[in-house]
Amino acid sequence: MTEAAKAWLNGQPVTPARAAAAAASLLAASRSAVVAGLGTDVAGARASVALAQAIGGSIDHMDADAVLANLEVLRRSGWIVTTPLQTRARADLVLLAGDGLVEAWPDMAERLALGEAPTVTGGSRRVVHLCPGTSPGGAAGHDGRGGGDFQTVATGQPILPTLAALRAIASGRNTSLDDAAAAPLRDLAATLAAARFGVAVWSSATLDTLAIEMLCGLIDDLNRKTRFAGLPLAPANGAEAVAQALAWTTGFPPRTGFASSAPRHDPWRFDAQRLIGCGEADAAVWISAFSPKPPDWDNAVPTIALVPSGTVFRTPPNVVFEVGRPGGDHEAMLFDPALGGIAFAAASAPSAAASVAATLAAITAALPPC
Amino acid sequence: MLTRLTGGRIVDPANGRDGIGDLWLRDGRIVTAPDGARAEETHDVTGCIVMAGGIDIHTHVAGTNVNTARLLLPELRAATAAESVPITETIGRLYAAMGYTMVVEPAISPHVAPQAHLELADIPLIDTAILAVLGNDDYLLRLMDANEGESAIADYAARVLSGSRAIGIKAINPGAAAAFKSNVRSFGLDDAVPNSEITSRAIINTLQAATETLGLPHPLHLHCSNLGMPGNADTALATMEAAGDARLHIAHLQFYAYGKEGPRGFSSAAPLLAEAVNAKRNITADIGQVMFGQTVTISSDVLRQFNARGSARPRKSVIIDGDGNGGGIVPYRYRKTDFFNAVQWAAGLELFLLINDPWRVFFTTDHPNGAPFTAYPDLLALLMDRSVRAKQMETLPKEAMEVTTLASITREYTLPEIAIMTRAAPARLLGLADRGHLGAGARADVAVYRTQADIAAMFRDAALVLKDGVPIIRDGVPVARSFGRAVTVRPEFDAAINRGLSGFYEKIYGVSHLAFDVPAAEALGRSQAFEAVPCRT
Repeated sequence: MTEAAKAWLNGQPVTPARAAAAAASLLAASRSAVVAGLGTDVAGARASVALAQAIGGSIDHMDADAVLANLEVLRRSGWIVTTPLQTRARADLVLLAGDGLVEAWPDMAERLALGEAPTVTGGSRRVVHLCPGTSPGGAAGHDGRGGGDFQTVATGQPILPTLAALRAIASGRNTSLDDAAAAPLRDLAATLAAARFGVAVWSSATLDTLAIEMLCGLIDDLNRKTRFAGLPLAPANGAEAVAQALAWTTGFPPRTGFASSAPRHDPWRFDAQRLIGCGEADAAVWISAFSPKPPDWDNAVPTIALVPSGTVFRTPPNVVFEVGRPGGDHEAMLFDPALGGIAFAAASAPSAAASVAATLAAITAALPPC
Repeated sequence: MLTRLTGGRIVDPANGRDGIGDLWLRDGRIVTAPDGARAEETHDVTGCIVMAGGIDIHTHVAGTNVNTARLLLPELRAATAAESVPITETIGRLYAAMGYTMVVEPAISPHVAPQAHLELADIPLIDTAILAVLGNDDYLLRLMDANEGESAIADYAARVLSGSRAIGIKAINPGAAAAFKSNVRSFGLDDAVPNSEITSRAIINTLQAATETLGLPHPLHLHCSNLGMPGNADTALATMEAAGDARLHIAHLQFYAYGKEGPRGFSSAAPLLAEAVNAKRNITADIGQVMFGQTVTISSDVLRQFNARGSARPRKSVIIDGDGNGGGIVPYRYRKTDFFNAVQWAAGLELFLLINDPWRVFFTTDHPNGAPFTAYPDLLALLMDRSVRAKQMETLPKEAMEVTTLASITREYTLPEIAIMTRAAPARLLGLADRGHLGAGARADVAVYRTQADIAAMFRDAALVLKDGVPIIRDGVPVARSFGRAVTVRPEFDAAINRGLSGFYEKIYGVSHLAFDVPAAEALGRSQAFEAVPCRT
């Protein structure tokens, strides 16, 4: 860690080395610790795994619910998906499913060129927003920026029953809807079937597993006759790159424990919030390098926080490290929604602020030998 | 430091050596026996076989498709050892335990090269490299459609190799992934990408030409069309013809070794293909042997994988309409009782045994598509001992064995032939002058196997493995935790290609083409810089 790194122990400023030593002894004394939050880059994810393995703890991400909403569908039945670049290049129909899309990806409409013709295949592009404004607290999402052929389809129902009815109609099956309610879905089903390369966009921060599964099932059905693919938008706080890095280093996404010889993955058991709430965990490392966010559990267990400057805690954690923003204060490997993959991000405003990876490595190095 | 391995049988066919003797190493390199010098470290390897470290030219160990397979199949328990999608740590340990010191991940679409290199950086103990996939990418198709000349395409290929830090070019069912996006459901050698006149054949020839123009050490590495289909031996033969006199490497040839004979309309056509490979000195092939058990097929042949979804076991799959190739992940179980699987198993062995030049046939299971790489020791036993083959054949459906010639083949691979196929030839095919052999100046990547009757046991747990002269494995167990190098080519190109790419990417994709470049080693978490293999001049 650099000299400029800032750290606090029990509210008092200390050297980073002193803070790392204190964090290490706190973790060494714990029986079951969680490494949580995990708002970090690939290097930070690697260092989180190394620390969790060293202390026999478990690992979770603050947006794991959104990660797992998609993965539950993936590992139950699989899916057909595409990339943002192919959507922009080829999609003659874009189906925006539900809310939270612009929140998940503010540049979506511009990056996908929703108001323009497909850039490779030409012709025209239609955009249909299904069930806008039907999620609890959900915003309308796409606002039709950039013009183009844009319409909304609403049934007055939430997204899940609407998708269920749409899938049934698209497959020529009956629904319990009356004619008036079914009419817009019948039109939409015809539009979907007429697409040459359709793409359905969703955010798993808003759609739940059942809705995603229904949507992916619809995509699957459409591929009997035409081409259609999904475009899941990445969850927040670096979750996509972290989940990928955890997969290649541990074999599993977040919510994995390292107490036994082989890692164990269990979305319920290793939910950090649950572990702390019910007293199964007795110490926590909280990592949030992208936003000044304190952990939801306040200070229910002794906590070591790695956060940006300006983070406000109700109760100060035992140890606080100020860390830089990946891709801001320091270079990083991050998931880029516009590229649809992990890429190098140079530091946009380089500073001496410590990285999560370096801070965690210092804590791990300070652990007593086991 | 001066190290001596003493008393072992040194099998080093690249240098014409096969006999008991000493091997001397100094500072990570093989050296000639120094006069009167005393070794600071001596390993008594009496009763052992000493070979150069193994090199796997085709194994799917990294990248977004492999990682999606990990996420798709938690029930295969990716974190444990003998499975089809092991984690990075396990990949390095298990390969090193078998005496391998370098592996090549052969199917990385340039846009996802950064993740692939991050994964490779986490594989301990061994060296790694990737092949960059071209042939379904919008920019190449645009260049071909505009009849841009050979040099423009070579510049583009060189720019891709440089940006993705790859060691060579791979084409995977060229044209088919692009066509599939236009709802084409089958695509052969002479089919054209919709709205163009660009055929698979033309893409293959174009990329062969770019490979030669750039002087890449590795020939175009090709995954042909019609993989897995009855009668597809015709496709493989036609592809070999299409290659002309230029070099061509055909990947996992076993998956194209099928005829339509017999009561089930499915038979081995391996003898035909072996004969063709024997006759064409410009062709090399790896086999992609099938072994029985649960695995997962991970392929950038998105069209083939889409069509194979019905065979998924367990019943789930992922299809990705990606940039360029994309891919598909379909779990699969090869069963001994299955007629088709048994024919596939036999066809692979026939190819190994009927291709007579070990310098042109390469030892792969197309991990994990034919079998996990952990099946290698058992496969070596099948090749080196015909009684092991006979015993296995007895357990397989008789009607399957009747549509192959395997039972009639008596050949057994010798240790020098194994050393060629798994060491010397891969190094030569990749242009790695200082690997694959034990002559003075070579990297001190050395595998020592304890001679025993059980060939599989001998090759599963090497008695000793040295990487750059340092012991990393003893009796199959890691004794060091080091990280190898990633190896690339750096062909020269006219920087003007960046202008064309920049304009295309900004307009078509709305992003900079530079954004996909793999950063320097340090940003990937690598302790050692990339190693460059020279191009041929």
